[in-house]
Amino acid sequence: MKALYDMYSGALLGVISRIVIHTEIAEDLLQETFVKIWNSASSYDSSKGRLFTWMMNVARNLSIDKLRSKDFKNAAKNQDIENNVDFIDEQKRVTFNADTLGLKELVTKLKPEFKNVLDMIYFKGYTHVEAAEELNLPLGTVKTRIRMAILELRKNFN
Amino acid sequence: MEEVKAYIESGILELYVLGQLSAEECSEVAAMAQKHPEVKAEILAIELAMETYALQNAVEPSANIEDQIFAKIAEPKIVPLYDNNDGKVRKLRYALVACSILLAISIGALFSAHKELKDANFQITALNSDKEKFAQTVSQLEFQNAGMENRIAMTKTDEWTTVKLAGVKTSPKAEMLVYWNKVNKNILINYAAMDLPKTDQAHEYQLWALVDGKPVSLGIFGDSERAKDAVKQMDAIEKAQAFAVTIEPVGGSVNPTMEKMVVMGAI
Repeated sequence: MKALYDMYSGALLGVISRIVIHTEIAEDLLQETFVKIWNSASSYDSSKGRLFTWMMNVARNLSIDKLRSKDFKNAAKNQDIENNVDFIDEQKRVTFNADTLGLKELVTKLKPEFKNVLDMIYFKGYTHVEAAEELNLPLGTVKTRIRMAILELRKNFN
Repeated sequence: MEEVKAYIESGILELYVLGQLSAEECSEVAAMAQKHPEVKAEILAIELAMETYALQNAVEPSANIEDQIFAKIAEPKIVPLYDNNDGKVRKLRYALVACSILLAISIGALFSAHKELKDANFQITALNSDKEKFAQTVSQLEFQNAGMENRIAMTKTDEWTTVKLAGVKTSPKAEMLVYWNKVNKNILINYAAMDLPKTDQAHEYQLWALVDGKPVSLGIFGDSERAKDAVKQMDAIEKAQAFAVTIEPVGGSVNPTMEKMVVMGAI
């Protein structure tokens, strides 16, 4: 567990804190994520994917639930969900700054239209359907862009 | 192969790794991965890419977070021992008590039934023995009755000579009647008209006629308990001066054992 924390806490917090902007809430969610991982380790099926993928989805689901929960919305001054997403986008324009988040250069080399779609889903908690609506793109195009973005990442990392 | 390639290129695997699919779609992808190693390899590559991407976008958590997490995990989980099972346990307890009571009642009933059965068996035995006694008495009475009827019938004709045999020295109380038909010379004896000393299993009575000073056997007869009929016909004899009964070994003897003579009577 200690090893898992050392290896992945940063990566998970990176995802969480892009969905839920407030550092404090994000770190609470990180705690929740690790507790949940610890308590439901038995539900992880290694034949269905890597441990990190599972942990990642646990973290993202907790974050999205929190984002859409009543008390969070209240905290966000009773904005409805649509506005809430916009509001977070607004915030993110400032927060999601490559330099402050320690983004490496090669990632920024991704074509912006590919990167944008991937980040919306991976880092902002959009579903691919929501992303298609938001970007006003056909679902197929969104899927293709996600695939292209990941292929690009794979090329860069190898 | 084309199919697998198209599947990979459809972008569904990326959505799978990103957690964008429904549970149904997920198990579909898992099944495909199980079937085609290429699909599995592709998923792994996507996962690794996303993992690296996430690691590159990592945000270092505050230093105290780690301690807080491990403190939470280390907390003993409070598992309510009876919370979920309380109702069940209570139900089981009631059931146990009910079963115990039923068992006790059953054992009681069994014992009572057993005792009644024993009593009933005892009564049956007693009734059976009574019945046997009555049956014995009845057959005895019938036997005696038959003898009496025969004696009465005999008195209605004058064909019969009745010879009275009296006890001798060794058996003074013994007595017996022998009926001798004057016409056909038949001899009858009647158990209703005899009182002889008891014989053992190895002996029976033998009737003799004294003809001109010589004993002639007229046959053997058992004692009344062994007799089938109340009246028994013996061998006929043309003439005789006296009758006597001796006790002989079963089957009779050629010559009478004089010292075992029990009754004797002259005509």
